[in-house]
Amino acid sequence: MAKYLTKRIIHSIISIIIVVMIVMILIYSLMDRQLIFKADPTYTNLGNNAKIVYQHRRWEEFGYIDYVPYTEWLAEEARAGRITEEEREKANGFARTAEKDSEFVAEYVKKYTDYYQSKGYTVRRLDAIMSNPRKVANGGAQQLFAYKDKPLIERLVSYFTGFITVDNIHYASGDVGERGIKFTLYDPVYGGKKFSPAIIGNGTLHKYLFYVDGMFPYIHQNLVTINLGKSYSVNQGVDVFETMNASQGSYIMREITYPSGHTEVSADDLHTAKYVEGSREASAVNRDRFVDDYTSVITEKSGFSKVGYSFVIGFISVLLAYLLAVPLGIFMALHKDKLVDKIGTVYIVFISAVPSLAYIFLFKAIGYRMGLPTTFDMEHVTVLMYVLPIVSLALPAIANLMKWLRRYMIDQMNSDYVKFARSGGLSEREIFSRHILKNAAIPIIHGIPAAVLGSIIGAIITERVYVVPGAGNLLTKAINANDNGVIVGLTLFYAVLSVTSIILGDVLMSMIDPRINFTSKAR
Amino acid sequence: MEEKKSIYEETGMSREELFAFVDHSALESEKITAPRYSYWKSVFRVFFKKKVNIVILVIFAIILGFTYIYPLFIDYNPYANLMDATAKHLLPSQAMKRFGANIHWILGAGASGQSTFDAVWYGARISITMAFIVAAINMIIGMLVGAVWGFSKKVDMVMTQVYNVIGNIPYILLISVLVLIMSGSFWTMVFALTVTGWIAIAYFIRTQVIIIRDREYNLASRCLGTPITRIATRNILPFMTSVIVTLIATEIPSYISYEVFLSYIGMGMSDMSLGRLIYQAENAMLTPGWQFEFWSPVIVASIITTVLYVVGQNLGDASDPRTHM
Repeated sequence: MAKYLTKRIIHSIISIIIVVMIVMILIYSLMDRQLIFKADPTYTNLGNNAKIVYQHRRWEEFGYIDYVPYTEWLAEEARAGRITEEEREKANGFARTAEKDSEFVAEYVKKYTDYYQSKGYTVRRLDAIMSNPRKVANGGAQQLFAYKDKPLIERLVSYFTGFITVDNIHYASGDVGERGIKFTLYDPVYGGKKFSPAIIGNGTLHKYLFYVDGMFPYIHQNLVTINLGKSYSVNQGVDVFETMNASQGSYIMREITYPSGHTEVSADDLHTAKYVEGSREASAVNRDRFVDDYTSVITEKSGFSKVGYSFVIGFISVLLAYLLAVPLGIFMALHKDKLVDKIGTVYIVFISAVPSLAYIFLFKAIGYRMGLPTTFDMEHVTVLMYVLPIVSLALPAIANLMKWLRRYMIDQMNSDYVKFARSGGLSEREIFSRHILKNAAIPIIHGIPAAVLGSIIGAIITERVYVVPGAGNLLTKAINANDNGVIVGLTLFYAVLSVTSIILGDVLMSMIDPRINFTSKAR
Repeated sequence: MEEKKSIYEETGMSREELFAFVDHSALESEKITAPRYSYWKSVFRVFFKKKVNIVILVIFAIILGFTYIYPLFIDYNPYANLMDATAKHLLPSQAMKRFGANIHWILGAGASGQSTFDAVWYGARISITMAFIVAAINMIIGMLVGAVWGFSKKVDMVMTQVYNVIGNIPYILLISVLVLIMSGSFWTMVFALTVTGWIAIAYFIRTQVIIIRDREYNLASRCLGTPITRIATRNILPFMTSVIVTLIATEIPSYISYEVFLSYIGMGMSDMSLGRLIYQAENAMLTPGWQFEFWSPVIVASIITTVLYVVGQNLGDASDPRTHM
């Protein structure tokens, strides 16, 4: 079993990598890059060379290309100490056309051009556009830059190597004093008096590597972070994983004491402090509050995260579906061709045939008549708000489960072993509960992990119709905004969930049914 | 005691005249006496035995008539009343009062003063045609690939991995990328729904083929030297007819539903299909008194899919030879 599972997992990982690769090809190579400027007012307002530069800079931000302007290269050279600051300044001013460059500048331009061309970049020099012989047109300043399409393999490798990062004490680049990790039993966030173990790092990205607080799951860690991909437009600069898991809603305001001793009413969660180089010096607010550069904190909000809302709604509806559909399906099979079965069949046909959009709106209209809230309001959450989304998800799931359970049970009823059991004198009740149900339930049980894990992803239409702030709409939102990072991240997340749920389903099935054995050769 | 007359005396004919010798025919003796059985005749006999099927078939014919024939006879211009502010967002009763009681206005008027009834059938034509074409392509490719997939173990190994990969690509992503690359035309939609749509059908067929392939009668057939193509077409295909018909019955309405869903999330085609009608009427849903505009295409779409589904399911039931007894 273990050997078989390892093989399955390896196969799954390979197929996940291929899925991510295909999605990368789809969005980075096949899709028109110009689309990201469709609704970009800055792009429309810019003209001449500035427009071209802006275009390339945005392409770099969205991950299409590597883009290095000449001035940036010079700055990098100066930082690395290969050229002096004076040389940098002198070389920086390249002329309106290549012919007008001074000898000194021309030498550096050539160096730059040769260096990047040898690395496969395209170097473009845009001559200044003049509105009259003495004046540069609006946005027409001369430009010099190199760019290169990111090759697929490089993109893929860098994506998967950066997938999991383990925090370490050499992360912070600036001067942070003595680097190291310190274990304390009295968390300074709580004033250093209350007993609360924590591991605090210095030189790491996160200040708190492990800590305990009153929120589920009570023990938290920042040591290992999952990076699914940075968002460019949906939730700018934030990782997809964080977008899905960050709490939403209104701020939880309370009195907090900052490391500097300063007290203020705020929603900042000091446990999430991240290192940002030079940030304390940069702002007066940070200087007031903090004693080091660990200043980037996440605010605490009262609602669930996107995944949280989707999962609460999805999980309850899955639970409800199994609790109701199993007895109903059995009941239908027991009374085959009777009135109950016919009513059930009509319901199943309704759910299978009618577009999901239609019945969700129907449920909404019925719910509205009954006085239930039809939209989700994070500020004033009531239990009633969950009713309609849960019902809208559960009712189709019930129909689907009922359909299959009935089908499987009726198939089993006609099989020889049931006839044999009957001829052997077993009571109908015994045959049903001990023989038919057990066999018919196996394929139903196979679907449980998929149903539970699937609820994390969320439901697109239901969440949209009831304005639930869940994870279901993230993908469609990302696609509409051309947010490539989010698309790739979500694809990976979905693929991992679906692969896991299939493997879990198989394992569960082999546990329930001793006849199913994955170790011996099939067929 | 009366003397019994022999049959020869009574009729006055000789033995040769009365009886003829029948040869033993080896060919005739091989024939099994059984009632004549024609598969498709039985399918239709079983199908029409249920009275409800006739009713549904009539509704189906009416729907097809409205989608394909009705638009030929009317002159529908969605922007005819665009400038007329009093013609917009009308309930059926208001529209009929405004334009006269005829069939165009029984579902009221839409956002640009167009007749909802006409718009619905124009949309239905696009949606149903799309569903039929997509189903035809997917079924043909899916069945061919699925048959090979089920028979060959080498192909099975490769295709199962392909299935694992393609199955994990978000369907919405694939479709929307294709729509963005190739513009949201009718054929783009067909392409997007068929480019990976066949694989699920092929997988389904593969599983069915594997189940039937190793049955004893096929084993016996193989031992007797029947070529594999004959086993596929004569032994397995008849077994699968009802499964295939049932599959088609669920596929066609599901493509219509899927088109509606994609349009609703803003990723559908640019033609005025049923889905796009619903998408555009969504705003009317939020305005009191205008909900009718939203519900009428939704309800018509639901009726169409339900009828298609029920016809298919019952035809699938009827095409199962076990119901022909």
